[in-house]
Amino acid sequence: MLILAAAAPLWRTIDQPVALKGLVAMVGLLVIAWQLWWFLGRHGGGVAARESEAGVQEITITVDGGYAPSRIQVKAGRPLRLSFHRIDPSGCVAQVIFPDFHKTLDLPLEATTSLELPPTEAGVYPFHCGMNMVRGVLEVVD
Amino acid sequence: MAIDPKPSPCCHQDSGPAPVEAMERELAQERTLLRRQFTLAAVLTSLVLLASLGPMVGGHHRTLGPPWFSSPWTQLLLTTPVLFWCGRSFFTGAWSALRRHSADMNTLVAAGTGIAWLTSLLVTVFPQVLVAEGLPVDVYYETAAVIITLVLLGRLLEARARGQTSEAIRRLLQLQPPTARVLRQGQPVQIPVALVAVGDQIVVRPGEKVPVDGVLEEGQSWVEEAMLTGEATPVAKAVGDPVIGASLNRSGSFTFRVTRVGGDTVLAQIVELVRQAQSSRTQVQRLADQVVGWFVPVVIALAVSAFVVWFLISGNAVLAMLFLVSVLVIACPCALGLATPTSIMVASGKGAENGLIFRSAEALETAGSLRTVVLDKTGTLTLGQPEVTDFERLPAARQSGDALLALTAALESRSEHPLAEAIVAYARSRCQDGAWAAVQDFEAVAGRGVRGQVGGHSVVVGTPRWLAELAIDTAPLAALMAPLEAKACSVATVGVDGNLEACFGISDPLKPTSAAAVAALRRLGLQVVMLSGDARRSAEAVAAQVGIVRVIAEVRPADKAAVVRQLQEQGEGPVAMVGDGINDAPALAQADVGIAMGTGTDVAIAASDITLISGNLAGVAAAIDLSRQTMANIRQNLFFAFAYNVAGIPIAAGLLFPLTGWLLSPMIAGAAMAFSSVSVVSNALRLRRFRPARLPLPTT
Repeated sequence: MLILAAAAPLWRTIDQPVALKGLVAMVGLLVIAWQLWWFLGRHGGGVAARESEAGVQEITITVDGGYAPSRIQVKAGRPLRLSFHRIDPSGCVAQVIFPDFHKTLDLPLEATTSLELPPTEAGVYPFHCGMNMVRGVLEVVD
Repeated sequence: MAIDPKPSPCCHQDSGPAPVEAMERELAQERTLLRRQFTLAAVLTSLVLLASLGPMVGGHHRTLGPPWFSSPWTQLLLTTPVLFWCGRSFFTGAWSALRRHSADMNTLVAAGTGIAWLTSLLVTVFPQVLVAEGLPVDVYYETAAVIITLVLLGRLLEARARGQTSEAIRRLLQLQPPTARVLRQGQPVQIPVALVAVGDQIVVRPGEKVPVDGVLEEGQSWVEEAMLTGEATPVAKAVGDPVIGASLNRSGSFTFRVTRVGGDTVLAQIVELVRQAQSSRTQVQRLADQVVGWFVPVVIALAVSAFVVWFLISGNAVLAMLFLVSVLVIACPCALGLATPTSIMVASGKGAENGLIFRSAEALETAGSLRTVVLDKTGTLTLGQPEVTDFERLPAARQSGDALLALTAALESRSEHPLAEAIVAYARSRCQDGAWAAVQDFEAVAGRGVRGQVGGHSVVVGTPRWLAELAIDTAPLAALMAPLEAKACSVATVGVDGNLEACFGISDPLKPTSAAAVAALRRLGLQVVMLSGDARRSAEAVAAQVGIVRVIAEVRPADKAAVVRQLQEQGEGPVAMVGDGINDAPALAQADVGIAMGTGTDVAIAASDITLISGNLAGVAAAIDLSRQTMANIRQNLFFAFAYNVAGIPIAAGLLFPLTGWLLSPMIAGAAMAFSSVSVVSNALRLRRFRPARLPLPTT
């Protein structure tokens, strides 16, 4: 019975000083608060795309455990070229999906793959990896 | 004509075969690496388990081998490569995600196993701390090693299964032959398909595949299009017929002229449509998406809370650590993330195999909940090729039969209406000289007919009602109309100089599969409505032949969309509209699901949500059936993924311990997590067994 195997010798109550208990609780709460802020909080503004001479907005996104930058600001009504450079070998990020544009892009490892999007209305368009664990946001502003 | 082979316009990056091959190679490499890592991890982990068995039994330090074998130092030596070589991708992945403020599966696995390993390391180096507390000097290396091994096994199985979900696309891409035999200065030359240009002439021999799309110019053959349309019967091809790239030439040799290459071919468009569908989202997935974004940080918060609470209750840091690790490793956001996309991938691929192209995941979703299907009569239930079956000269006619045919044909040859074409064709077959008199003051009135001056006569051809409106006495028709309409004929009447002279009975033969297809729709519990521009009686006669009870007749083309809207407003929705996609575009767009019947060559029917590549109406029932099965599959997956996490996390956190004494071993938690995403993918793969009900085709 693996489920209970560890229970018998381990289940032992030990009296700990109240100060230690208080300290553990404090540290625990701090860890929870920090990681919620770190993962869910908003960090830094978006990175704006450059505009080429031909009027196409361009930006290169590095795929390494996440998208860098993950928040991209572009102007509405102008064509956009997104280049993804993937250096992360994890199969998870081998695809990037833009659900609002019905576009899937396969990203070969150690290569740069481009996606061209037509001029778009202002709005927030999320994109994510094949399993939806790694995410980024395309912010189209007027 | 240019002799040098010209490269065709560049294919769009994501429809060409090259990246697909690269991705295939990468997936294969990933599988090889995972297999190697898993094998080594499994061997080392078995040894660690053997070594740890002694100390785990009853708290006594019984040993299975020599004392050095079960020493914590040996276990440390065996476990470290499992974590940091076999499982290094979890740690590197977690680290790069952490730097980017994101958290995923790797974060949970790395944190869980890392904490178990670190705790054990502390115990190995400073055992006196536990002795002072009166706790057994136990290490948890085997926990960390087993979790890594099981998660690696899960990933390996999942990578295999994931490869199968995109099988359909791969098979479609492999349909195109790599080379084509192009005529250069009259001589066939074998060149790569990528170099074929529009306008080239290509020779296809028996048993070969047609490389690109074109029009047959010389020879004839039977061609199998099953791989594109899902229709098993080979299609006869003669001069002037379109041929589709990737279809298989069965018997004869022929030459065709290329009309479409690269991304414009039917095959490329099908692949593109399927890929688009696979990258879209369903409504039901949006909920899962929102949960996934919050998932990992919330699980970490719950795991730390479990640690704090158990430490406060028991004061036992080791016990609290085990709860922490269990919660971290049992949670599986992947199962949630995979639930919908895998089913959509498999279903849209399966659809493509059967000639059913879904434009988006929403199309699959809505088609699964349809209640009413509206079928357009002409071209959908019927062949769309009307023929004159009856020509009646009225007793009171002043013109002869041949003269009437010549007058009518002269006028109708100016019209583009399908019924007009039928009349002209009939007149041609009856009167050999095809030169009709000139027409003046020609006027076509939509939904009514045509009129004009022909050879000094004022001629009107149109519906009986229109002639009556033009003050022509149509009373003599009464006796003729009933038998024609009972035969499901449309009636066109001819008036010359204000006198009713003749009438035509025109019928559009039913497709051989229509009746069986309607029966299949009714078996799915759908209400079937027929829409037609014909007079009520002849529309009802057609409906009766295919088993449709509800008929909306005398609808002008422009009003079809309004009829669909009316059905939706009457609460009979969601409503599907089935049409040929050309003159039904507004109705297809108005419907909740627009289903276009392809003609086998033109899949670029953008107004529709579903395209049936073969013109077979049976595809409608098959598409709806597939959608229903897919949505059921997605619901099962989402239910399983949610239920698994909602039930698993509290058990791992020890919520049941005070009630039942259950304490989940972190190893069991790891196993449960590894197999939850495998089961989601496996369940989605069940959709591969979908077979549309084949309708018996009457022999013709």
